Amino acid sequence: MRKHLYVSLFVLLIAGLVLSACGAQTPAPTAAPTEAAATEAATEAPTEDPMAMYRPENVSGNIVTAGSSTVFPLSERMAQRFSEEGFTGNITIDSIGSGAGFERFCVNGETDISNSSRRIKDSEVESCRAIGREPLEFRVGTDALAVVVSRENDFVTDVTKEELAIIFSTAERWSDVRPEWPDQPILRFIPGTDSGTFDYFVEVVFNKDEAPILAASNLQLSEDDNVLVQGVLGSPYAIGFFGFAYYHENARQLQTVSINGIEPTEQTAEDGTYPLARPLFIYSTAQIMQEKPQVAAFIYFYLTNVNDEIIDVGYFPASQAALDEALNTWYTAVGLQP
Amino acid sequence: MTKKYNGEASGYPLREEGLRKRPRAGEILIQSILFFAGFFSIFTTLGIVYELGKEALLFFRTPEVKLWDFLTGTAWQPHINQFGILPLVTSTFITSAIAMTIAIPLGLAAAVYLSEYATEKVRKTLKPILEILAGIPTIVYGYFALMFVTPLLRSIFGRDVVEIYNMASGGLVMGILILPLVASMSEDALNAVPLALREAAYGLGATKLEVALKVVFPAALSGIAAAIIVGVSRAIGETMIVAVAVGAGPNFTFNPFRGAETMTGHIVRMSGGDLSYDSIDYNSIFAIGLMLFFITLTLNIISQRIVQRFREVYE
Repeated sequence: MRKHLYVSLFVLLIAGLVLSACGAQTPAPTAAPTEAAATEAATEAPTEDPMAMYRPENVSGNIVTAGSSTVFPLSERMAQRFSEEGFTGNITIDSIGSGAGFERFCVNGETDISNSSRRIKDSEVESCRAIGREPLEFRVGTDALAVVVSRENDFVTDVTKEELAIIFSTAERWSDVRPEWPDQPILRFIPGTDSGTFDYFVEVVFNKDEAPILAASNLQLSEDDNVLVQGVLGSPYAIGFFGFAYYHENARQLQTVSINGIEPTEQTAEDGTYPLARPLFIYSTAQIMQEKPQVAAFIYFYLTNVNDEIIDVGYFPASQAALDEALNTWYTAVGLQP
Repeated sequence: MTKKYNGEASGYPLREEGLRKRPRAGEILIQSILFFAGFFSIFTTLGIVYELGKEALLFFRTPEVKLWDFLTGTAWQPHINQFGILPLVTSTFITSAIAMTIAIPLGLAAAVYLSEYATEKVRKTLKPILEILAGIPTIVYGYFALMFVTPLLRSIFGRDVVEIYNMASGGLVMGILILPLVASMSEDALNAVPLALREAAYGLGATKLEVALKVVFPAALSGIAAAIIVGVSRAIGETMIVAVAVGAGPNFTFNPFRGAETMTGHIVRMSGGDLSYDSIDYNSIFAIGLMLFFITLTLNIISQRIVQRFREVYE
């Protein structure tokens, strides 16, 4: 009997391995011809058009990016599109937080592009310069933090920024915020202290003082936004906040809370009236872009195509002026006229 | 065969004094390989203790950290200089206690059944299945707790009583995880009791239940105690289940239906983020690790004492 069991388990295991091996093999043959085509195209490409060398199919090599977990889904989508357009190299995107992204970009100097959900700090620019990197900023979009409650919550729809600060710090129960709200403990679900989302919330709501929010009772912190979504869904008395993209994915079960009467929408995030909106950036340097044309090509592709994808990913497009400025930066960096 | 053991193979000529004294190269080689295998496991342990101690020392040297506050404080939030480890310790003990209230009775009952009541055929089928249960990745158990046990608890006790992340569901599922371990080790201990003892008891007119509970069980007590202590250590050290299902924020509470964070869960969450080295948050996880190490070490020492104290030798 035992032997039987082991034999069947073994067979299952082998079957699984064989299946996965087959699965892994299928993309290989399709990849090969494109590669050949790409090199062919590269040799045939006319030299007079300076932009030809920045077409996805004409560049190869690796692109290493790291940084904000908020920018991650956007960069991932752009990388996917870039590969679909014929890029044959590898793009790695590490979702490690804006700060850690800059550490790898400016201190270790091991990434080509740094994703960030905030503007680079002066101290980070300095460390970049210390290793001979002059960071260039490209605005790619706008993220709104969504303060969310479960759809079962029928009392919180609109709060002031002051109330928001009380909800996420000293208040024990909902009735402590407004007497007419239920006498139930507030369950808080917030991103971890290492995330840019947390930093941004603390900056805007608590004036950069982390102590009140971290000292709050019933506080659960996680770098994993899905943990937060689960938590908020779990009770009508739960509240949380995270990037708008994650709200978008769970919009059916969650609802956003307006701040000072302003809902997070494309309009309010764009014009900055929604108090919890922030810009999204990618950073690189002119030197990297010149040494690795694939990086320059990817950034160009990113800037020119980001608006097709950004709403689908869950963020709001950057203003045309900001995108134009980013493109100008790009042209200057590679030494071309727009 | 004889050819292999004369001098030629090992390169030494045969001497007249006799075969016993001549050194055997193969033997020495095997012996040194075995010695290094043992040495490396001890060396690794020492290395881990050293590394834990070194980093934890950095933490305790920080001026904001006071040992007394560390051991008695009820708020843990290193980011804002709150260093009371109690909320993490209490939730670790609460989840472990819940796990053991499942694992000990069920595990022992299963062990007694398998060893004393089950026929050979049933035993040979059930035990591998029990061991497969122990082989399920703990992350799967974690989602089982979150997606199945928590909703179950909430439907029984009410949604307002049971939070979505809570210690009870993590503890219960951890009990299921540890059950096969306790059952399997206890069953081995029960099985090792000599048959003569049972036969003697039957000979005196004891019933099957009396033999199982009054003769075999006490005789195997040392092994069973060891199984339980190993189970407790496993519960305290268990990580993925509590990380997924128990919660993600230190919370000083004794209510098992509320969310909290165990020591292991906290370490996982902190090291999963992008902590910068040399920050107080980073060093603090080593202090927690050291604390965990001391707790499990104490348990192991206790278990060894128990095994020595209650060991009954039948020769």
